[in-house]
Amino acid sequence: MSSVPRHLTLRQSVALVWRTLRSMRTALALLFLLALGSVVGSLVPQIPNSPDRVARFQADHPLLGRFYQHAGFFDVFGSWWFVLIMALLLVSLVACLVPRTRASIRNVRQKPLHAREIDAFPQYAERTVRAEVPEAIATSQRVLRRRMFRVSRAEDALAADKGALRELGSLVFHWALLLLLIGSVYGKGTGFTGKALVVEGESWTDGAANYDGTIRAGRFFDGDFTGVGLTLHSFEATYRANGTPMDFVSHVDLLDPGGTVARSADVRVNHPAVFGGLRFFQFGFGYAPVIEIREGDRLLYAGPVPFAHQAPPEGVPELALPWDGIVKVPSVTPGLGIQLTLWPDSGAFLQFQQTGEPVPMLRADHPILFFTTWKGPLVDPSPRSLDTSVMQEGRKGALGEGQTCSLSTTKCWGPGEGTPEADELTISFPSIRQYSIFQVSRDRGVPIVLLAAILVLLGLLPALYTSRRKVWVRAEPNGEGTVLKVGGFALQRKPQFEEEFTKLIAEIERATTERIGAS
Amino acid sequence: MTSLQWARISNDTFNAAIFAYLPAMLASFAYLAYRRRPLLLVARVAAVAGLGAHLVSIVTRGLAAGHVPWGTMFEYSSLLAFLVVLAALVLVEGVYKVTTITGFAIAFSVLTMAIAATTRINTPAAPLVPALDSYWIKIHVVAAILGSSLFALGGGVLTILYLVKDGRERRETAALAAESPAPILGASLDLSDPPHFAPGADEAVGSLAQSSRRRGILPPSAVIDRMAYRTIAFAFPIWTFAVIAGAIWAQQSWGRYWGWDPKETWSFITWVIYAGYLHARATSGWRGRGAAVIALVGFASLLVTYYVVNLWIVGLHTYAGTG
Repeated sequence: MSSVPRHLTLRQSVALVWRTLRSMRTALALLFLLALGSVVGSLVPQIPNSPDRVARFQADHPLLGRFYQHAGFFDVFGSWWFVLIMALLLVSLVACLVPRTRASIRNVRQKPLHAREIDAFPQYAERTVRAEVPEAIATSQRVLRRRMFRVSRAEDALAADKGALRELGSLVFHWALLLLLIGSVYGKGTGFTGKALVVEGESWTDGAANYDGTIRAGRFFDGDFTGVGLTLHSFEATYRANGTPMDFVSHVDLLDPGGTVARSADVRVNHPAVFGGLRFFQFGFGYAPVIEIREGDRLLYAGPVPFAHQAPPEGVPELALPWDGIVKVPSVTPGLGIQLTLWPDSGAFLQFQQTGEPVPMLRADHPILFFTTWKGPLVDPSPRSLDTSVMQEGRKGALGEGQTCSLSTTKCWGPGEGTPEADELTISFPSIRQYSIFQVSRDRGVPIVLLAAILVLLGLLPALYTSRRKVWVRAEPNGEGTVLKVGGFALQRKPQFEEEFTKLIAEIERATTERIGAS
Repeated sequence: MTSLQWARISNDTFNAAIFAYLPAMLASFAYLAYRRRPLLLVARVAAVAGLGAHLVSIVTRGLAAGHVPWGTMFEYSSLLAFLVVLAALVLVEGVYKVTTITGFAIAFSVLTMAIAATTRINTPAAPLVPALDSYWIKIHVVAAILGSSLFALGGGVLTILYLVKDGRERRETAALAAESPAPILGASLDLSDPPHFAPGADEAVGSLAQSSRRRGILPPSAVIDRMAYRTIAFAFPIWTFAVIAGAIWAQQSWGRYWGWDPKETWSFITWVIYAGYLHARATSGWRGRGAAVIALVGFASLLVTYYVVNLWIVGLHTYAGTG
């Protein structure tokens, strides 16, 4: 134990750290730390995957939640320690690969080395053949070459090897892993993911303000939105008889930055549209009833309102639940908010009322809209939520498609029927539309990652399934013939090499005898 | 025939397969204990009959559901069990000529099938949800099943047998060393070898001289170890391919090739552990028991990837059909 001096110079310590990093033991330890970190990431809810579950966890377990927060357990794969493990693994990989690559290049350039004592190798055989030494050597060389060995020839000896592909494959595999990491960091770093909500008949443009909710952008995202867009013509959801979804498809026109139609496309699950470097995925859908609010004849508010789905309780199919929406009319003093609940299928609603059994609503059929009015200051700036704590609840009512209701008397009438008072507030529900949510993403690293993944596989196969073996031959004159001494060994797959070696000897013997017979 | 009739045939042949595997397993264990050739013959005939019935069950399940028969967890389990028995017969008995350990592989398969049949994994045949309706299900899932069945055989069944046998051999060697004062133990051979003759990563460890001294009930640990390594080395690229194919599919249907979804995370963990195993085989001090323990951890991780992630962890891969 005295070989390690107590005080290391800086140079020695650096060398020690470097050696430790290069060792397989360190690499193994880092691999297991990586696996362990990933275990945490799969068991604790993650902010990027399910922020709502993280929030619930923090509410349920405040102390543990605080600890997890500080330890980075809510975003393991973006935490400093996970990145550190990855970085160390990377350094360890490079530290291991650089010398190996150099050695491998040297090996490929170098001819196989001759050996002095052939009979010391694990595989050894002697054969006496009726041929001159040069001829026996030439024939053996031919046999080895035919078996894809690299052969270097001396006057009376051969050195041959085979299976450089094993090391080469292993190197390709490991370098490709590095490339894969670089590609994914580059792609994620410069890319982004966001969601675009588009109502039927409307258009959307790629721009910072037009995304629904937050954009998840990479660290190096430069904010260069493309300005391309799309128009949603229609959305269709089709279901099987038992209510399981069959197909979701958005029929869209893809627009150039100038707004001209480049082409039409159908975006469906598993079939994204790729345009202008962006990928559009079918992510979700919902109903957007067109709502109009009037004061007498004066139009205060008009437009389709995207409704969100209520979270389903355990055991209730999502589509059996009604949809919720909000309309805010700030031009009415002191402020008017309307909470809306939509049952797309009034038949299903009635059936639910009668039987208490939730019925999935697979299409809009005589939709029914419930409203509750709230008066007071609109303190919540979000268009999707209403803070009713400072508001006063007003009237409640319901209306069907095409109807108009008075918000004060909740009396309703059909199109072209009733005549409201000049200052009476009314709500109209002229039609129902659907909206589609697209996940929009840009990742420029994808081709690099794909290439790297292919190289990983291509490198893996020879790295695991080929073996390095070496063979030496020496010819010594012996009376009228020659003694051929053949030795060899394999670094891997030794039992197979034993068989190969036996066949090789037989072939050399046959080839040398045949030549004698022919001449 | 109607979907319902196909489903009934599928169920019946599934049960028939279990009832053929059971005697195959028992006969195989009996052969292990008594070494009577007829027992081996009975085991093989029963196992092949079981495979036949099982194949019919898988095909008719596909006909009943109207899609490839690996869309739900039940179908995946069934195919996995089928492949483990098949691999045991083809690889272990056919390639490695080891006849004594097929019973353990069959036991694993019967257990897998029993779990699938008696828990909430068992769901009736149904059409695929849109997210799964892609040709990638043929590529990604087939590779995943193939890889996991080989991992189960190599990293699970064979590795456990290796550890058992290796432990026994160690005890015998220790007992022998206690009897005679200075035997030349096989283990010391390694040290006298010049370094470049050191066994390669795929070479068996443990000394053949030591294990052939006594025949024992199982094959020598060195033989089991080599089979386990080969099976895992066979599975690893297939698993790698399954993960890559999954990433390509995820890119197509979810817009990102990797998102640390629980299933992705756990298949990655399994991959990392088996990568560690392959490296450990090439590292002195880790060969043998050390590597075997890693392989076993990998097997545990595989079980988590399959059972725990599918049944208890919420993620995008919630296709078990058990909801």
